Amino acid sequence: MRFLYPLGLIGLVGIPILIIIYIIKNKYTEQTVSSTYLWELSERFLKRKKPISRLAGLISLLLQVFAVAFLSVALARPVFILPNSANDYCFVLDGSGSMNMMQGENTRLELAKSEIEKVIDDAKDGSTYTLVYVGETTGVVYEKLEDKKRALTLLSEIQPTYLSDGVENAIVIAQEYFNENPAQLTYLVTDKAYEGCQYIELVNVATAQENYAVSSITYEQNGDNLLSVRTEVVSYESDKNLTVAFYLNGSETPTATKTVQAKKLIFTPVAFDCEDLDFDSLCVRVQETDALPVDNETVLFNAEKENEYTALLVSDRPFFIQKIIETVGKAEMTVKTAEEYTALKEEEKVGYDLYIFDSVKPSVLPDDGAVWFFNLSESLDKTGFSYQNTVEIESKSGAEMELVSDGSTTAMALTKDLDGKTISFSRYIKYGRMRNFTTIFEYEGNPLVFSGTNDYGNREVVFAFDLHDTNLPLKMDYIVLCRNLLNYSFPTVVERVSYESGENAKINIVSGCKNIRIESPSGKVSYLDTNDESTSFLLSEVGTYRIVMTVGETPRVFHLYSSLGEGERNPTATSETVNLQGQASSEKRDGKYQELIIYFICLSLLFLADWGVYCYDKYQLR
Amino acid sequence: MKKAVISEAFLQQVESLQMLIKNNVAGMFGGNRKSKNYGSSCEFADYRDYMPGDDTTKIDWNAYARFDKLYQKLYLDERQMHTRIYIDGSRSMQYGDNKKAEQALKLTAALAYIAVADMDKVSVYVIRGKELEEVFTGIVGKEAFFREVGKLDEIEFYGDSEISNAILPTKVGYGDGMSVLISDFLTDDNYERAIDYMTDKKRHVFCMQILSQEELKPQARGKMHFYDSENADKVYRKNIDKEIAQAYKLALSYTIDRIQNYCMARGADYMMVSAEHSIAEVFFGKMVDMGVLK
Repeated sequence: MRFLYPLGLIGLVGIPILIIIYIIKNKYTEQTVSSTYLWELSERFLKRKKPISRLAGLISLLLQVFAVAFLSVALARPVFILPNSANDYCFVLDGSGSMNMMQGENTRLELAKSEIEKVIDDAKDGSTYTLVYVGETTGVVYEKLEDKKRALTLLSEIQPTYLSDGVENAIVIAQEYFNENPAQLTYLVTDKAYEGCQYIELVNVATAQENYAVSSITYEQNGDNLLSVRTEVVSYESDKNLTVAFYLNGSETPTATKTVQAKKLIFTPVAFDCEDLDFDSLCVRVQETDALPVDNETVLFNAEKENEYTALLVSDRPFFIQKIIETVGKAEMTVKTAEEYTALKEEEKVGYDLYIFDSVKPSVLPDDGAVWFFNLSESLDKTGFSYQNTVEIESKSGAEMELVSDGSTTAMALTKDLDGKTISFSRYIKYGRMRNFTTIFEYEGNPLVFSGTNDYGNREVVFAFDLHDTNLPLKMDYIVLCRNLLNYSFPTVVERVSYESGENAKINIVSGCKNIRIESPSGKVSYLDTNDESTSFLLSEVGTYRIVMTVGETPRVFHLYSSLGEGERNPTATSETVNLQGQASSEKRDGKYQELIIYFICLSLLFLADWGVYCYDKYQLR
Repeated sequence: MKKAVISEAFLQQVESLQMLIKNNVAGMFGGNRKSKNYGSSCEFADYRDYMPGDDTTKIDWNAYARFDKLYQKLYLDERQMHTRIYIDGSRSMQYGDNKKAEQALKLTAALAYIAVADMDKVSVYVIRGKELEEVFTGIVGKEAFFREVGKLDEIEFYGDSEISNAILPTKVGYGDGMSVLISDFLTDDNYERAIDYMTDKKRHVFCMQILSQEELKPQARGKMHFYDSENADKVYRKNIDKEIAQAYKLALSYTIDRIQNYCMARGADYMMVSAEHSIAEVFFGKMVDMGVLK
């Protein structure tokens, strides 16, 4: 026996104190009386005393001593050691997406947790519990925990995920604990049918359940006004006639429905025709109910449409710019002459994602979008550069600009696919640059095309010449350069809209982006860092993610769909083995018995008995 | 400590009372009590033939004129009563903050005063072991009382007392008044012999038992070691619980009943007085109720 809080034994000091009090209290009080005659005479009238009366004081003392002893020992939290009766338990709990499958009233994860609870409940006190959870990331929830209640509480707090980092990593962790104690009992609680488990007790909570799934959607334009939407459906448990519905643009009413004879484990193609080329989203859903509903539908959002932006072009000769933007960009263009632009009200001059000023100096630098300047012959505040002078090339054939790159990631992106040769010009403007810009073309050390950010943090592209003074618009490089610059200054926010849960979704950050808010299918909200050019986040749930990017004052909304991974849809189909290496030992650890209730019962009885003796002695209750 | 402090106002109240004596007594001295003998009081009793030598002033000349024979008028003789007060001088009388002793002295003083106020003769004795110790004897009149009463203060209470052995060898008088015995009677001593002896001598015996409150209702509980105040060798060691307290009550009741019944059987008066009682309560209450005083 040992004590958790040995200081509680200090209470035993109360025993000698009690005895001293008893001795002092029971000392005969000496007193002189007029005559002992009456007291001696009273002996003749005294009834024979009961033996209990004589012992009452001593019994009371004994009861109090026992009470103090029990109380002290109880405070010290005694632990009785039960040799070789307890175990070290290591549970590997599969929390992957398939564990969300319903089996009766509960999910497989809930059944798995109850299996572990049973083992913990039945385990002897003194056993230790280690829980390794296989979810988004595989990790140890708790290790070598002796507290049963704590272990059960933490187990109950585990939430299901749609991801699986793989049981292999969990087995590696379990192996470490097994190496420390070869007598450890390892349980793998999962819905997957592993084979040949060595030193691992497999607890398979899966039973045969109907499960249907839809694979991802693809489409292609079929003719001028028709899209052919294709997907595949599968039944994992049995052959089944499935009703597959097609929904357009988030409608709750299916646009079309088809019945498909799905063979077990065979992906059966399904195709729908869609007349809406400018769709927002396409959705295909299996109508039948099964054990795992999350893989019964899939959604495809129109990425191009969601990545559209607005652009304002201010130019008296907009042809070259307008055409290239319309060709390689996804912009909704507004074109104004310098005179028209000047005539606009201030509130009409803002609200665009991209501003292009061609040989025009705006009154103020727009602060809510990317800005391109062509041939800006005056200085403008907050642009980060200043006008110095205009230089005429004396040679009649002009001069050739030189493609440069400083090797940075940005420079590499901006110069991607550029030839950079034989691009001549007859006039250019010298600018003084007050911050680091990335130069794409230069002449004699003077930047001709450069990009960077302005004082508002928005991306900025500067052409130090008039397009009409160069042969650039006539070159292939013009298209490539404008594409690169558009991608730089106004990148596609969501390049991909279909993912599998567990993947990282990439978000490109555009100019003027103030924040990015991510709303998961379950409603969880998170915000992403907007300091870099792109960011990413883990798709840990199944369903539609909503991404709200605030650019200036305008929120731009994007969607992407995260589907359940193929491996999680049919978890029973596995022939993997999970083993622990080494030689198991049968040596158990010492168990413990530390129930306090017996002490409190004994204490109560002792106090009750003492109270009875006290009453008997004091009030002669009989 | 001042003992027997009896205020003058109290003495005046006590004086107004008369000792009630059940029978006329044959005292040696004249007093206000009627004697069974003929004497010289003013109260006519009878006639007898004149004999030579008789007092000629008491010849009834009217009877001589009628019967021509000399008759001597006889009057009831008024004899003095001799009140003898015996105080238990043992140490046990000092128990209870000396209140028993004080009570005994106060009672003695009061009784003595009443006696002298009635022109009786008073003697006070202290029982000391087997002997009687005189405090004052045969005092008559208030002047003598006030001269002698101070001696009561000088009485010391110590040792033990053997009431019978002390009284029996002494002269207690014969039919001439009251013998007052003041004690706590908490003794095995055969005090009944003294009562018998005094009643045989035609004395009116009045036993006053004085008990303290602690003796009447002892509060002691738990483990007690009692020492006898009169004899250090006598101890009583016991755990005083409710049973023993009950037995004590029975013992006390037995002791009181014993002396009370004995007095009743011998025609003697008995009164139990608490040491806590005031003299006024004793005299105006208990003694009047009992008919000792009127």
